[in-house]
Amino acid sequence: MFGLNSRKDPFLKRPFCYFRKKRNTIDILYRVVGKVTTLMTGLRAGDTAEVMGPLGNCYPVEGVEGRKPIVLAGGVGIASVYPLLGALVGKAHLFYGGRTARDLLLTGELESLSSGLTLATEDGSAGFRGTAVDAVRAHLKGRDKRDFILYACGPNGMLKAASALGVDGYIASEEKMACGIGVCLGCAVRTPAGYKRACKDGPVFPIGEVLFD
Amino acid sequence: MTDRGLQVRLGKLKLKNPVLTASGTAGYGEELAEFFDLSKLGAMVMKGISLQPWQGNPAPRITETPCGMINSIGLQNVGLDVFLREKLPFVRQWDVPVIANILGTDANEYIRLAAELDEAGVEAIELNVSCPNIKKGGISFGRDINSFSRLVAAVRRKVKNAALIVKLTPDAPVDVFARAAGESGADAVSLINTIPALAIDINTRRPLIKNVIGGLSGPAVKPIAVRMVYQASRAVKIPVIGMGGISCGADAIEFMLAGATAVAVGSAIFRDPMAPLKVIEEIGAYMKGRGIKSVSGITGAMAGR
Repeated sequence: MFGLNSRKDPFLKRPFCYFRKKRNTIDILYRVVGKVTTLMTGLRAGDTAEVMGPLGNCYPVEGVEGRKPIVLAGGVGIASVYPLLGALVGKAHLFYGGRTARDLLLTGELESLSSGLTLATEDGSAGFRGTAVDAVRAHLKGRDKRDFILYACGPNGMLKAASALGVDGYIASEEKMACGIGVCLGCAVRTPAGYKRACKDGPVFPIGEVLFD
Repeated sequence: MTDRGLQVRLGKLKLKNPVLTASGTAGYGEELAEFFDLSKLGAMVMKGISLQPWQGNPAPRITETPCGMINSIGLQNVGLDVFLREKLPFVRQWDVPVIANILGTDANEYIRLAAELDEAGVEAIELNVSCPNIKKGGISFGRDINSFSRLVAAVRRKVKNAALIVKLTPDAPVDVFARAAGESGADAVSLINTIPALAIDINTRRPLIKNVIGGLSGPAVKPIAVRMVYQASRAVKIPVIGMGGISCGADAIEFMLAGATAVAVGSAIFRDPMAPLKVIEEIGAYMKGRGIKSVSGITGAMAGR
């Protein structure tokens, strides 16, 4: 959870994942969408902020067991799967989607971290024309889905489509959070066992556990 | 100032300091216990519980608004049985009074909850007749003076040992309801619950909360809450527990000057889990700086009226 030094407005901290960790620094990759991220663009070296973490769980990589990992990222969702590519020691095929070529960042670096990189843009300005989920579907055509394990992070629409691919794996859910520690019950994720908390029980859930509208 | 100087009384209930957690912002203590020693709190007010477990409302349940937030969690809770079997024993590991917040869809449910929790030995029961986020019961009692008074009196008859606190909605005249609570046997009133509120995304034209209307909390509501605590405390002899946007010691002092005997820290916990302890420390520092020996001396001490 990341908070600016304003205890009243903006009021709450915002959830981010660690993008890159170095010895004494953490990089946060963010897209400017609202008040906090707009103010974040004004931060300068030496400014202070309140950071609480790490919180929540991670993508499990123990369960790969001979299966071929597919990593699926939509937009700024690339931030959470970036360290996963490292944990999968370059064995994953990365499918990375955005609206246009301009939304796709660090493609050179990502290519070196994965066994294959497929870009997808809705306007066709880079790579596959369509969504990254469409690109995964095309990739799986004629292959046995049991040979793969899928990890996905992106907007809810993408996660819903990814969950319907028929491949085993995990998704990182995206909900608004107030506390990040499990007390507010704001970041409710619907599951067959009732609502769970994205912040404390997740954000990573097995595919099939999260029910979408 | 000694530690004793922070002690306050809510009826027969003695607290080591006047700072509580607001119901629904501290769960059942399990998460906050990872951050601090729960016995440092004046009292631990638990997330509202109902007879049966409740699922809660669909997401989005929260949205930030200027200097605050709107929520519609919908009283998601584990239900009375799990509360008694798992949650209450957990928090009993700390030397902290437990205040159980209860919510029913009808009077009988409130009465059963209160009787069983009293039997289980909780130090106080907070009657939630003010949650804006459930369909039946709850706030309907908090807005109708006759059913409100009958409910408080009926629960009072069942509660033998625990202190009885009634939590008021800001969506009704608080002086009238506070007085009725006192006359019906409540040991204290607490206020305010969240203020029914709405925020809309002008691009999608959708409400930012799935349930459309939720409850506003945070610093934005504080001046309204302070005014209501002032009005309620002038209307009753029983203690008033003040809350609504408290995020620092100065906020708590303001509530006490307006008439609060104790205060609760609510959504500020979401911003910073350590917020209640900071409030306790800052109240102490305020007293020390001004030579105030007992925190109860601040209650109702607003000057110039």
